[in-house]
Amino acid sequence: MICRTLPGFQRVALLVASDIDALCACKILQALFHCDQIQYTLVPVKGWQDLGTAFLEHKEQFRYFVLINCGANVDLLEMLQPDDDSIFFICDTHRPIDVVNVYNDSQIKLLIKQDDDLGVPSYDDIFRDEDDEEGDDSGNESDEGSEPSGKRRRYDEGAVERRIDRQRAKREWEARRREILFDYEQYEYHGTSAAMMFFELALVMTKDTKDMLWWAVIGLTDQWVHDKITHMKYVTDIAIMQRHVSRHNHRNEDGENSLSIDCMRISFEYDLRLTLYQHWSLYESICNSCYTSCNFKLWTLNGQKKLQEFLADMGLPLKQVRQKFHSMDMSIKENLRDVIEESSNKYGMKDIRIQTFGVHFGFKNRFLASDMVHATAALLESTEKDESDSDNFIKALDSLSRSSLKQKCLVLAVQQTVASCICTNLILSQGPFLYCFLMEGTPDVKLFSKPMALTLLCKYLLKAFVHSTRNKRCKLLPLIMAAPKDVEKGTVIVVGIPPESETSDKKNFFGRAFEKAAESTSSRTLHDHFDTSIIELKTEDRSKFLDALITLLS
Amino acid sequence: MSESVARLNKFKNKGKDANELRRRRVEVNVELRKAKKDDQIFKRRNVSAFPDEATSPLQERSQNCLAARQWTVEEILTGVNSGNAESQLQATQAARKLLSRDKHPPIDQMISAGLIPKFVAFLGLTDCPPIQFEASWALTNIASGTADQTAAVVEGGAIPAFIALVTSTHQHISEQAVWALGNIAGDGSALRDRVIKHGAVAPLLSLLAVPDMSVFNTSYLRNVTWTLSNLCRNKNPSPPMATIQQILPTLIRLLHYEDPEVLADTCWAISYLTDGANDRIEVVVQTGVINRLVKLLGYDELPIVTPALRAIGNIVTGTDEQTQAVLNAGALNMFPLLLRHKKANIQKEAAWTLSNITAGKDNQIQEVINAGLVHYMVDMLVRGDYKTQKEAVWAVTNFTSGGTIQQVVYLVQANVLEPLLNLLSSKDSKTVLVILDAITNIFMAGDKIGEADKLSLMVEECGGLDKIEALQAHENELVYKAALNLIEKYFSEEDEEVQCVAPEATDDGFAFQVSDHQSSFNF
Repeated sequence: MICRTLPGFQRVALLVASDIDALCACKILQALFHCDQIQYTLVPVKGWQDLGTAFLEHKEQFRYFVLINCGANVDLLEMLQPDDDSIFFICDTHRPIDVVNVYNDSQIKLLIKQDDDLGVPSYDDIFRDEDDEEGDDSGNESDEGSEPSGKRRRYDEGAVERRIDRQRAKREWEARRREILFDYEQYEYHGTSAAMMFFELALVMTKDTKDMLWWAVIGLTDQWVHDKITHMKYVTDIAIMQRHVSRHNHRNEDGENSLSIDCMRISFEYDLRLTLYQHWSLYESICNSCYTSCNFKLWTLNGQKKLQEFLADMGLPLKQVRQKFHSMDMSIKENLRDVIEESSNKYGMKDIRIQTFGVHFGFKNRFLASDMVHATAALLESTEKDESDSDNFIKALDSLSRSSLKQKCLVLAVQQTVASCICTNLILSQGPFLYCFLMEGTPDVKLFSKPMALTLLCKYLLKAFVHSTRNKRCKLLPLIMAAPKDVEKGTVIVVGIPPESETSDKKNFFGRAFEKAAESTSSRTLHDHFDTSIIELKTEDRSKFLDALITLLS
Repeated sequence: MSESVARLNKFKNKGKDANELRRRRVEVNVELRKAKKDDQIFKRRNVSAFPDEATSPLQERSQNCLAARQWTVEEILTGVNSGNAESQLQATQAARKLLSRDKHPPIDQMISAGLIPKFVAFLGLTDCPPIQFEASWALTNIASGTADQTAAVVEGGAIPAFIALVTSTHQHISEQAVWALGNIAGDGSALRDRVIKHGAVAPLLSLLAVPDMSVFNTSYLRNVTWTLSNLCRNKNPSPPMATIQQILPTLIRLLHYEDPEVLADTCWAISYLTDGANDRIEVVVQTGVINRLVKLLGYDELPIVTPALRAIGNIVTGTDEQTQAVLNAGALNMFPLLLRHKKANIQKEAAWTLSNITAGKDNQIQEVINAGLVHYMVDMLVRGDYKTQKEAVWAVTNFTSGGTIQQVVYLVQANVLEPLLNLLSSKDSKTVLVILDAITNIFMAGDKIGEADKLSLMVEECGGLDKIEALQAHENELVYKAALNLIEKYFSEEDEEVQCVAPEATDDGFAFQVSDHQSSFNF
């Protein structure tokens, strides 16, 4: 870790982005603050504007700011213009990290895993000490039209030539710098989960608890569910978490310290990739899970038929499959996972099981980490009228410590809409990318005015599309999706995601592309989200923006 | 000065603006001073750093074969003290070379080695022009450094020695002496006046006293022009009036010489001379230079346009007559170009100039309208950069305070309200106050023709009322008061209610009094 210092006994402002990983990281940090009796103020921030306002409101009272999952990918000092004594601790998965943040060690403290491959350009390649630049400032024609200097030195011929040489070298250096920065900033991606980072911090301080461990697991799972990290990275990090889980479980095994069965127990699972199946019926879960629905192409008649065959192959009675999972016969449940895996293999779904974690609260409740993510996401982006964003934030934060999933219905709605959207096949190929626009009036369209929900939909849609299309070229294209954001203001929310493939590096170039396209067409856009590939756009500017994007990317 | 204050009191925002306008020009100077200071700090640091730069043999070869390698300061000192003319020349040339390299010239070492008086002595060796030239060059470069370094050259007695060389028959020596004097005069008012006291002006001007200046090579003419401009430069105090009057005719001639650098430096000289009290502006205006300056505003070269515009801008800070002279020269016709100039800085300076013209009499405001500039003003409020917007705000406020009702109406019809109100979200409370002034002025004009209600509606429709209301929570008390005042006067629906309640209240009061009387009677 590059930095581990936490501020002493001063009040701390805690600025937290609205994603599940950030919430989990926040829970861990809150617990740590609680241990050390550090006072803090928690401020949820949805985007750059929120962050700016939150900073302005708190900069007088606070010296220390902890930023979770926000702030790393812009020049923070430039953006916030803080006083010299404000100090920022940043734990943010957004990559690439702005180079100024990387090289400023007085006010910006980054919490990063040292073995995360950041690929930051070396200092000398992007910064030059002023001393080297003396050449042009002492010259008298530095800026056209500025007042002439009061004194001028007379150079000899050789010096003039050298000066020109140096200026040329400087221009070359600057061109190279632009190139390096372009390469570095071209793609957006995500690093190690913030929750995991804080868990490891807790570990170093020997203050880690089982709750913290569970939050770290959810944080990591969030990255997987929302497709932020590669499969490789997920598996590696899961392995790390597994070591911690078994350590914690061992600790409780020796007689004296053994805990009541009613306590929380985390276990490593090799479980099914079926969303919420334990809280639903198996049938519906299969229908609404991305993995199964895409593989069967359930939006086709043929797909439905295949599903029936699949169920028959497993030998599960329809009646059992369609009823609530917890009411299913124990005999079926016992080796359900093996049965499903076996049949899935026959149907080409080799990865139906995935390494994950579950949690048990006594005999009462059992959740998978991914189910927690879905439930919390639904709370966080709840579209119910009378609830403000910060209400949602607090509720979602609370839900992470509760032992039941109350907001299941909302999740079901999301899932079902995903399925129904896949059926409608709205995706158009625009040349360099695929494009889909959710019309106003589509059922549940309101849900998808929220960034996380729309991203999830986007991901499912692209998977489904790749499974259904025969066009080989289209399978390799990224997807842009737009949905109405605010009908009164006439804005849409636009999300771009990288191409779908098993080996995808999850690097996203739409952030830069969106900026360029907006600039060249002077479209009215709002780049407020911490993910640069999520923007808001005036509805009437949509077509010119897309045209510019097509030209830019072809 | 007092005349200008009186004028400002009369026309420019009713006495409020005199200090305002002064302040704004001081601000520019502060910026310049700051830049200069930074520049000096910058130089000092580089001098103290000091890694020697390896000179490529290729470049050395092409120079005089006397020095195949760089001399040390000690070697130079030995050579200079040798008493042998040839060694002295070689040593002086070596010193000149060290001082001419582009990185870290050893100025301070030369000074502490006591070389300055030696070099100054060499300036007088009329029998040996080469050493005069080398010493001039070396001293020029020493004088190009910090104020202390320049002062060291002056203390060495260099000023009279250089003045003697100005009229040298060798043009390259004359040129170098002129350059050195420029460096000394450019240090600031004090050294400038010392150069003038030593009588540098007459010989310098005599150089150009030829029927046709094209006999000179351009670099020579550029150096003389630059030195003359330094003699006009700096305030507190400004150069002596007599000197200005002495130099001005030559500047006017140079202003017709078609070389971009000569023109640029001459314009800067004029801009320095006009940056001051009205009597100084008057001296320049009397020469009839304005017509030429206005022409130069239309040139393509930024280095010319910038100082020409600065000079014009300075002149219109003067009296109404002086401003009128600028208008009579047709300056306003150049403004459409300047206000949309590709350089934001030109836009800002043009807006500043315009703001001082709209601060004039209403017939001058009318000229601004006739030149079609009102739409440009509005446009600047909409899309200028921040500094330009600030100046445009001033232009609008001055317009509303000095303009006739018809003129203000014209301004409102040109849709000034919305962009003006939008700028109320500015972080700078000064600007906000100026905008609130403009709004108040506009409403006062509206009151006079009974259109205040309509104005209120317009302000409300473009979201201006929300902005003004928000200002009631402003930390600056003046802003808060001005906003409150506007709202109370023009945006309170209660206006009518108060009027309805008032008579009732009097009735009550009357009734009360009556009963009071009755009761007292009873007792």
